[in-house]
Amino acid sequence: MQIIENKLIKEKIYIEKLKSGFTIMCIPKTNTRKKYAICAVGYGSNDNKFIKSDEDKETIIPDGVAHFLEHKLFEQENGTNSLDTLSALGVEANAYTTNDHTAYLFECTNNFEEALAELLKYVQNPYFTNENVEKEKGIITQEINMYNDEPDWKVYINCMKALYKINPIRIDVAGSVESIKKITKDILYECYNNFYVPENMILTLVGDFNPEQTIEKIKTKITIKSKLKAQVIEEQEEFKINKKEISEKMDISTSIFSIAYKVNPIEKEKVKRSLAIEILLEILFGESSKCYKELYERGLIYENLSTSFEWGRNYAHVLIQGKSENIKEVEKLLKQTIKDSEKQGIEEKNFERAKRKLYGMYVREFNNVDQEAIMFTSNYFKKVNPFEYIENYKIISKEYLEKVQKEVFKEENYVISCIKPKESDE
Amino acid sequence: MNYIKEQIKDGVSLHLIINENFKTDFTVIFLSIPLKKDTVTKNALIPAILKDGCRKYINYQSISEELEMLYGALFDCGLDKTGDNLVLKFYIESINDKYLPEKNNNLEKVIDLLFEIVFNPLIEENKFNEKYLKLEKKNLELLINSIKDEKDLYAYEKCINIMYKDSGYGISKYGKIGDLEKITSENLYEQYKKIISSSKIDIIVSGNYEKESIEQKIKENKLIKSLNPRNDILNKNNYKTEIKEIIQNPEIKKEEMDIAQGKLVIGLDILPNNLGDFRFIAIVYNSIFGNGVNSKLFQIVREKESLAYTTKSEYIVQKNNIFIRCGIECEKYEKTVELIEKLLEDMEKGDFTEEDIRKSKEYILSGIDSINEEQDSQILFKFGQELSKLPLSLEEYKENIKKVTKNQVIEFAKKIQINTIYFLKSGGKNADN
Repeated sequence: MQIIENKLIKEKIYIEKLKSGFTIMCIPKTNTRKKYAICAVGYGSNDNKFIKSDEDKETIIPDGVAHFLEHKLFEQENGTNSLDTLSALGVEANAYTTNDHTAYLFECTNNFEEALAELLKYVQNPYFTNENVEKEKGIITQEINMYNDEPDWKVYINCMKALYKINPIRIDVAGSVESIKKITKDILYECYNNFYVPENMILTLVGDFNPEQTIEKIKTKITIKSKLKAQVIEEQEEFKINKKEISEKMDISTSIFSIAYKVNPIEKEKVKRSLAIEILLEILFGESSKCYKELYERGLIYENLSTSFEWGRNYAHVLIQGKSENIKEVEKLLKQTIKDSEKQGIEEKNFERAKRKLYGMYVREFNNVDQEAIMFTSNYFKKVNPFEYIENYKIISKEYLEKVQKEVFKEENYVISCIKPKESDE
Repeated sequence: MNYIKEQIKDGVSLHLIINENFKTDFTVIFLSIPLKKDTVTKNALIPAILKDGCRKYINYQSISEELEMLYGALFDCGLDKTGDNLVLKFYIESINDKYLPEKNNNLEKVIDLLFEIVFNPLIEENKFNEKYLKLEKKNLELLINSIKDEKDLYAYEKCINIMYKDSGYGISKYGKIGDLEKITSENLYEQYKKIISSSKIDIIVSGNYEKESIEQKIKENKLIKSLNPRNDILNKNNYKTEIKEIIQNPEIKKEEMDIAQGKLVIGLDILPNNLGDFRFIAIVYNSIFGNGVNSKLFQIVREKESLAYTTKSEYIVQKNNIFIRCGIECEKYEKTVELIEKLLEDMEKGDFTEEDIRKSKEYILSGIDSINEEQDSQILFKFGQELSKLPLSLEEYKENIKKVTKNQVIEFAKKIQINTIYFLKSGGKNADN
């Protein structure tokens, strides 16, 4: 068993990889009655083209299969639905799909053992029929339509479409109303059998546990057959944006925008670099920055300006999002800010404040059972030890930031996506 | 967890919640006042303008700098409608010193900062800063206009507004654009002073700290000392005061927007009954009917009939209402409404099992158990108790839930009537504001 510890934030992770390849990760917490369990599979919406371990030809599946599987896995052969069974135990059960993994989870204060047994049972025992697959299409169609009405989501996905030509990050996790029509029981089984394999699965537990005993007990309940995982085909895309701008109109009151810089997705120093980019974004556009003050006091942005750095398999980009009645002016000011900063360098006091803010943000990630379980799971699939962020925080220098700044904010990698009100004549 | 409440002055309370479960501390100020049509827009501007600067930190930028120095303490402010009252809320969440690379007295500094923002605003010549007022008026106007951007929330607000018209609970907490013109930096400052001198003030500190030192620090703070005692002026809203009348036909209202998914909201009344303190019966009823995956709404409207992706109901204890909210295909409106009406009748007929009750109770009880597992839910629970004047420990709450019987739920179901059906559907035209 591997144990990783961070003394500053007083956290320990216990990791055990079973013979079958199945991984169990346990993060013990005291002073809480809550227990959180996530069983996750390294299979997400980006995995839509692959070669099975026992074939040599390529398989291409419709968009939205990972998410469809997530919906259908709850159904059991005896006619019960595990979501209902878990809920009847008084536990809060749910599931979600991302671009690189699918997670099945519950949180509880009571009945942990029964709930965990149910979770492991349903994740390891799929039951799909033509009838239950058809029925789900109505529900997922409603889910897709709901997102299509959400301007914030729309502006984001359009931004991804502007950034990427091939990378599946540009498609909706749930697929489209058209693509899910093509999903059948056989496709679901095919994907389940080729991705839901021990080496591609992890169980994350956070809460009041004795890690050694808990892991020992759980081992016997992992019965899923070993099989080699299908090899996902990743088409490398050129490090070049797809489109400068995407603009759409919707029934909304104020324009919103997603501005992004495409960043080269390199593996080297990924944590250190991502931390540096987040610090930079704080310094340049954070709430205490000169740029933010000007945007705010001139009434150019409204509510707030949010910035983030997103990265994963073969993609990385900086995002700057907000609401404005004058997006052109916002763009101008953002670009000017970057130019000035490159010329004048970074001020020590701004650097210190941004570092402190980021430190606080990372400590918060370890503050509650739910957040932690989700964070550890998603970092596992990114192959990152989450303590690295806290550790790297100390070693980032101003010079390193200045170097990263030059790499990240390149005009040729800049895109913008806007959603404008119907009435606007822009 | 250790909870101590102290009355600093009449109408000014300090709540200390001490626990070791979290890495963060919460410092919160709630200012509660009656919700009134003629002051609501002004009140909505107050948190906004206070965050733009105070005497000590003269603009948003310098407040932000201070927050960042406190290892990224997070400040937020806003408005909550609770029954016929309005709560102006201000809070800062900060990292506890134990988890910092060095001692920083984070909590002490946060308390000072929050008091400065709320009680020592940036006032020049007896008025708020003109430039910031202009900015915040514009921001509020955009905010009011943007309510329609979130279709689900918009539909919900619309339904409430139809049921209560322009009084009390029917008032939008953000106010009206038409009021903005008359608001000046002078009369806004007058309103601020009125709130500070007459609102019910609750100061809550939750986290891992020494009770004595924090308590003393707060009591001796000059700004707190200068507060006057005040009487209780809040509206009383509870299951006894909210009397609903029988209506013959529900009001039905449909509007169109350019959307893909229709939003259906159904407002239900709880009619007078002889079930005594029926709040716990209502919670169990609502859970069986529409809250959670084992509920009738989820199992039948979503799972069996595939009519919706989101479907749930919510019990508003202060107003004796239950609201049903669904996102559905526009063509399925008639079918969904008919089905929901049938499900409501099924509840009256007792068409649910003891097992359904058991599952629902289990779900509710585990929800109660998790209240103390999160700082904000713990704070909101304590504050809710404070406002309702019907204090209840979590244990009592659980006991009351356990006691609810099937017969009580059936009797309760007979006292439910549909008051209003609101449907936002797709169409070319905009909804009128």
